[in-house]
Amino acid sequence: MTVRTLFIGMDGATFTVLNDLTNPAEGEPVMPFLARIFASGSRAKLRSTPNPLTPPAWVSLMTGRGPGHHGVFDFIRAEERGDEVFFTLYDSRDCRVETIWSIASRQGKRVAALNFPFTAPPAKDLNGFIVPGFIPWRHLRRNSHPADVYDRLKQIPNFNAQELAWDFEQEKQSGDELSDHDREAWVSYHLPREQQWFKVAEYLMREESPELMAVLFDGVDKLQHQAWTFVDPAFQTGELSEFHQRMRKLSLSYFRQLDGFIEKLVTAAGPEVQVFFASDHGFTASTEIVRINAFLAEKGYVFWKDLPEGEAGKRRDNSYFAYLDWTKTIAYCRTPSSNGITIRVARQPGESGIAPSEYNAVRARLIKDLEEFKDPQTGERIIAEIHKREDVFPGAAMTDGPDLLLVLRDFGFVSVKNKHPVVEKREYPVGTHHPDGVFIAYGPGIEAGKMLGRRHITDVSSTLLYSLGLPVPSDFEGTVPTGMFTPQYKAAHPIVIGAPTRSDSKEVQIDAMDGEEKQKIMEQLQMLGYME
Amino acid sequence: MRNLKSESTIETVVAIVQDLTQDWGLEYDAPIGANTMLAKDLQFASVDIIQLCVALEECHGCRLGFQDLLMKDGSYVGDLSLGHMSAFVDKQLNNAGSKL
Repeated sequence: MTVRTLFIGMDGATFTVLNDLTNPAEGEPVMPFLARIFASGSRAKLRSTPNPLTPPAWVSLMTGRGPGHHGVFDFIRAEERGDEVFFTLYDSRDCRVETIWSIASRQGKRVAALNFPFTAPPAKDLNGFIVPGFIPWRHLRRNSHPADVYDRLKQIPNFNAQELAWDFEQEKQSGDELSDHDREAWVSYHLPREQQWFKVAEYLMREESPELMAVLFDGVDKLQHQAWTFVDPAFQTGELSEFHQRMRKLSLSYFRQLDGFIEKLVTAAGPEVQVFFASDHGFTASTEIVRINAFLAEKGYVFWKDLPEGEAGKRRDNSYFAYLDWTKTIAYCRTPSSNGITIRVARQPGESGIAPSEYNAVRARLIKDLEEFKDPQTGERIIAEIHKREDVFPGAAMTDGPDLLLVLRDFGFVSVKNKHPVVEKREYPVGTHHPDGVFIAYGPGIEAGKMLGRRHITDVSSTLLYSLGLPVPSDFEGTVPTGMFTPQYKAAHPIVIGAPTRSDSKEVQIDAMDGEEKQKIMEQLQMLGYME
Repeated sequence: MRNLKSESTIETVVAIVQDLTQDWGLEYDAPIGANTMLAKDLQFASVDIIQLCVALEECHGCRLGFQDLLMKDGSYVGDLSLGHMSAFVDKQLNNAGSKL
């Protein structure tokens, strides 16, 4: 068995940076190998999901379907429960549609998918290897597939699961305003992580040669959140401080290292392999903080809950999701990354939330209030776009998404904290997600030096299956970008539209216990503040 | 993911917890059993509790509604014994059985 298709994900990669690193205005390129790929391959901007965020975007890339179909909208999943809202993490079981890893597996192709989010717990029918991303190191063993792969990886010289895996405490910093020292430490932290994923990819490609070899390097996103001003060419003019120059050098060393990993993987794959690169979204600068729940509180939609005293209150205040009086709140933003507003509709009379009959009127009033949320200096709208969910999340999972999706004027993510003012200029610009990521192809059968028109993130899964010689499922939303391939290749390898994806055998959902049983158990429990 | 389902639910919970924590470098040297506390004894953080819930659901092949164990009045439970986890799983499985 030999590798047929190599896919390298680069979370958050954007041509704004990559063009500069491959073709700088002066000096040698930081990424010379990627420059060669640009010259001899094809590329296009890649439009992300309506909310250009890691969970919905990577799941769309892996499934060929939008969030309204696959059902993964955010890192954190919320369940409305009358006067309570339960927050937990999304995982692979929340994805309602088939991934390309399963589609390829059931057609006899062997796959390896390394560091992709929402691949844990791994599918049971997988033909190949999963080492999931966005999972703490303590849970990598149980969430890797097959069961013995983790112990095999431990035999790789200098393998270090703690360096490799997601650290929740570290990752929470990505959207924070950090000190200079912490920003430097943040960038340094991601250098060895990518080294670890490279070694795992190199090992599995050498030892197993899966037909579809895929690895995600997510440090690009993490670095750019805190170091955007050091990598965006637009910020490299004028007098640059000593700290700025040091941070730029450190940031470029990350990209130089990544270029080396790419070269080694592409070289190891061999000249017969088609190579594809994609990011889940691009990047740009966010210059202001928008405290959306504070705004909604001013308008009478949100009611705050009093924070507990002491450390518990501090932890609660720093947590990632909204802490509200659910008996009164009727519309709120759940998490910063959601950039969405959820309207609370009572499931039955007497429950908190608006009556179902009020939904359209409340939503229309909310949209009007958000449209009138303007910069007092310029009169410009703070929220550039307001999308109704049926317009951006069509599909069976639509009702799991927010009722309104917001696009801020600087593409930033909202804050859910109870602070004022509701709009505040940031101390320094931070990186935030832009809807346009990258899609690059290279190898036999790929057009050389071609820049295509913008493609959509769901096109990547169609392209990878096509490259593997498999039919594209008829219910995929994406298509194969035909301009990426040479006429000879397309003539020899016609695109085949095949059977639709298979619907997952959904697990049984066991209902909650009745109130008395629940109360009995709850009384035995110590209430200390889990998950805060 | 290894299937560690045993005869009794508490044995299953203990086996999964032992499997989860085998290379965590814990200093807890008492036998892991029904009275072992996840946070106090085994240093479980919230994300570890979520992963344990996922492992138990995977083992039983169904969602078990752990939100009813983990949350009340908008606050989350700070610690749980393996016995509590086991009792909850049993109740949920029995409830499901009685509804079939």
